[in-house]
Amino acid sequence: MIENTKCECGHQNAVGTVLCESCGKPLSEELLRGTGPLEMRYDGVARRSMRANPTPIDRVWNFFSSVKVAVYLIIVTLLAASLGTIFQQENMFINRDPAFLLSYYKENYGWFGELYYRLGLSRTFESWWFRGLLFMIGTSLVVCSLDRVLPLYRALKNQQIRKHPTFILRQKVSYAATLPLDAHPSEPSGPADQEEAARRWVERMSAILKKQRYRVHTDGTALLAEKNRFSRWGPYINHIGLIIFLLAALARSVPGWHMDEYYGFLEGQTQKIPNTPYYLKNEKFTVDFYKPEELPEGMRNQGALVPKMYETQAVLYRCAADCDDPSKQPVLEEVARHNILVNHPLKYKGLLAYQYDWQETPQLISVRATLKNRQTGEAYGSFVLDMKQPQDSYVAGPYQLKLRGYYPEFAFENGAPVTKSNDPKAPAFIFTITGPDLPPEGEPYIYFPREIDREQFGQDAINGALGRKLELAVGSMDDVQVALYTSWLNIRVDKPLPYIWVGAAITVIGLAMGFYWQHRRIWLRIDGDRLLFGAHTNKNWYGLRREAAYALNRAGIAVDAKTLETGGKRS
Amino acid sequence: MNFASLSAQALLAAFVLYCAAFLLSVLAITGKRWSNRDPGEHARRFGWIAFIVSAVGFACHVVYFFARWRAAGHIPTSNMYEFLTFLAMMIILAYIIVFLIYRLPVLGVFALPVGFIVIAYASVFPHDVQPLIPSLQSNWLKIHVTTAAAGEAFFAVGFASGLMYLLRTADYRDSSKPAGAERTALELTLFVIVLLIAFIGSTLGFNAAGYKAQFVKEVTVTDKAGQEQTITQIEQYVLPPIAAPYGSRLESMTPFLGMKEPLFVTPSWMNGVNAGRKLNTIIWTVLTGLILYGVLRLIARRPLGAVVQPLLKGMDPEDLDEIGYRSIAIGYPIYTLGALVFAMIWANEAWGRFWGWDPKEVWALITWLFYAAFLHLRLSRGWQGKRSAWLAVSGFIVVMFTLVGVNLLIAGLHSYAGV
Repeated sequence: MIENTKCECGHQNAVGTVLCESCGKPLSEELLRGTGPLEMRYDGVARRSMRANPTPIDRVWNFFSSVKVAVYLIIVTLLAASLGTIFQQENMFINRDPAFLLSYYKENYGWFGELYYRLGLSRTFESWWFRGLLFMIGTSLVVCSLDRVLPLYRALKNQQIRKHPTFILRQKVSYAATLPLDAHPSEPSGPADQEEAARRWVERMSAILKKQRYRVHTDGTALLAEKNRFSRWGPYINHIGLIIFLLAALARSVPGWHMDEYYGFLEGQTQKIPNTPYYLKNEKFTVDFYKPEELPEGMRNQGALVPKMYETQAVLYRCAADCDDPSKQPVLEEVARHNILVNHPLKYKGLLAYQYDWQETPQLISVRATLKNRQTGEAYGSFVLDMKQPQDSYVAGPYQLKLRGYYPEFAFENGAPVTKSNDPKAPAFIFTITGPDLPPEGEPYIYFPREIDREQFGQDAINGALGRKLELAVGSMDDVQVALYTSWLNIRVDKPLPYIWVGAAITVIGLAMGFYWQHRRIWLRIDGDRLLFGAHTNKNWYGLRREAAYALNRAGIAVDAKTLETGGKRS
Repeated sequence: MNFASLSAQALLAAFVLYCAAFLLSVLAITGKRWSNRDPGEHARRFGWIAFIVSAVGFACHVVYFFARWRAAGHIPTSNMYEFLTFLAMMIILAYIIVFLIYRLPVLGVFALPVGFIVIAYASVFPHDVQPLIPSLQSNWLKIHVTTAAAGEAFFAVGFASGLMYLLRTADYRDSSKPAGAERTALELTLFVIVLLIAFIGSTLGFNAAGYKAQFVKEVTVTDKAGQEQTITQIEQYVLPPIAAPYGSRLESMTPFLGMKEPLFVTPSWMNGVNAGRKLNTIIWTVLTGLILYGVLRLIARRPLGAVVQPLLKGMDPEDLDEIGYRSIAIGYPIYTLGALVFAMIWANEAWGRFWGWDPKEVWALITWLFYAAFLHLRLSRGWQGKRSAWLAVSGFIVVMFTLVGVNLLIAGLHSYAGV
């Protein structure tokens, strides 16, 4: 079936056009017969999706181009998101073992919690269906915008000034009157005089509207005044921003563009950040609590301990050489130094280190041990004993101590010494000491740097005779290096971040354009002495009515703003 | 006089002035029919007086805000009490702006109560100035919270207009089914407001009377070092305990109307933080709400909607529709900026990610999506009038859930917003 889409004004319109793109006359008979205000959405142009014979691709396009579908997508996403907030999401746990999680949800939230977990709602925001919804919203944003913005752009670019009378009169704000155009009422005037008077009237109106900051175009006795057309582009700009935002969020899956890890850094230690060429040293960690008198009474009585500030004095190094050679110490060069606080991350060339948490983990780092004669108290010499990487041998005066075994967390298991972990929680060193008065093959000596372990494991009893002769001891607290805290840092790389902000900024600009300005248009034509006046805006009719009434009043037609409204019950 | 007491008194003054402005707005509408008066002139005069009184109230509110800022040493938007009083301040500001655009005295009849009910609700929460934990120590506390609240305030005015529209257009004589369903829904909305007032009233009343009950509970917690510890938890009730917390022992309780011990124990599956107290509060709210609503109905002898409706006579529904839509349209970009964009920038600074699907974040997004649906339905699907008004009313319920409900019912990173 071939639909006749040619308007009486001679303009050839696309299939699906509601109002002639040129003169604005309603194209369908049904619409012509009606009396209510015309639907002015997208100026009545045909959207791209209104094709005569849709192909399968067109059908997909048509599906996503529908605002109705878009609203459904928004509502389904909204409901899905709310489901994800009923119980804690799995990403809040460090331990994500399924058995543990199942028992957690079961124990804490009962049978409903179990169901929640089994349905996968505890992974709502990571799930394929939620991601799919976001993806569909993104598609809808692209398609809806393209479907409308191009035809709308064309329509607004080629506006005809003299519109069809039906178009003008069936605007939501409209007015019709007979103008007293006779220059000299006593003399009969011809049509030429009348047209000249009408032209002058239009010019006067034009000047008034220009004062109201309208752009005015006239065509003899017809006029088109327009302002803030740019606000029509607001929604599309805002959609572009959202698309950029969603793409940037998607770009995180590009390899190397995103990293998000949590590492503990013990005070005083330099540690490699895995998968990067960087090393980070926690030089010192400080935590400061609010004093009781700074807290409100309620919290004070509960004995609450509220942290005021916690900070990691961090140094970032870049590995310059020997990075992957396990036999050599890597050569590090300092590249950044920053005190990391909550709200003040360390930033270096895309690497971000955030203060996340801390833990009190008192640990020995090293001691300066002195070898003494137990009887006379004479000191032979001293050396620094490191708990993480002790050397193979040490020299103290005339004695030599060879390290035979190191047990960071010492324990007896079936009578044999073992270590329970690699953390120096109860360090023990077994040396073979050689020197004056000792056999050439040396004698074994066990050393616990911590007093408490010495007593618990009976250092003196184990060492026997040698223990009564020689003693390894620490002089004062100055000789002990202790790490009190482990600082947990969140190490991130987030390359798409700038695009996220650009997208967000564009969205807000688009929203402001669309909502804080309105596209207003006024059409008028005079035929003989008959004035037809119509006005349209995409929002804020109140403002438009006032502006239109003001202009008419200035031009000598007394009207009240309210009476201009034909959309309502008033005439 | 120190700044702390200055701020408290200024807020009280603001509250009283808002109530007075509300009464004056009611007089502006109802007094039109008094004898010897030009109705238009009367409404205009009283409308302006009401407006000026509310503007003075707003000035007091601003004094409260800055005095408290001075006294606390940080912007007073860091706990629930402070946030809600700030939100109320923004609601009044939004009302002032919308009033200046449209000059409708009746706006005060509905927007002002939203403002002072929010202040009254705020006063249910602890008033203490709390020190800022490290993640709140940022300039974004000022920027994010204030802009988000400003956006939400316009949604509140949208809510007021939507409610006005619904009350104005409800037909209390039509006996058809849809009209009846609509009246019921409207009455239910009003009942929710009555519930909120009952909750505020009973909490403040028992508080003022110094009512107290205490329960003790032994709970096992895992401390930071991974050790399990049994600690004694005290659950304080400010309302007489009808429901006791599960697995607890009554420590002390002021008898209430001969009730010396709780009537029942909260079921075991309600085991969240302070679940017993929350359930008890809900029971009290519904109970007192029903009583209050019943008394009001007994006095009025007709639905509350029918009582309020005459106030709106002579109002043009289309104006109300437009005001509601404009408020939301003004608020939406501000909300986007404050509650999402600024929030993401801050989250990125403080927590190392701009988005983490924290419940508060998700609900801010839900609110945003809801109003996005509202705007699309209105602009592209022609949802105006009634349907638009219902959406404006429900939208604000979503807003309030995001602001308060999430903190009360769902924990999360924002749970420090002390409740």
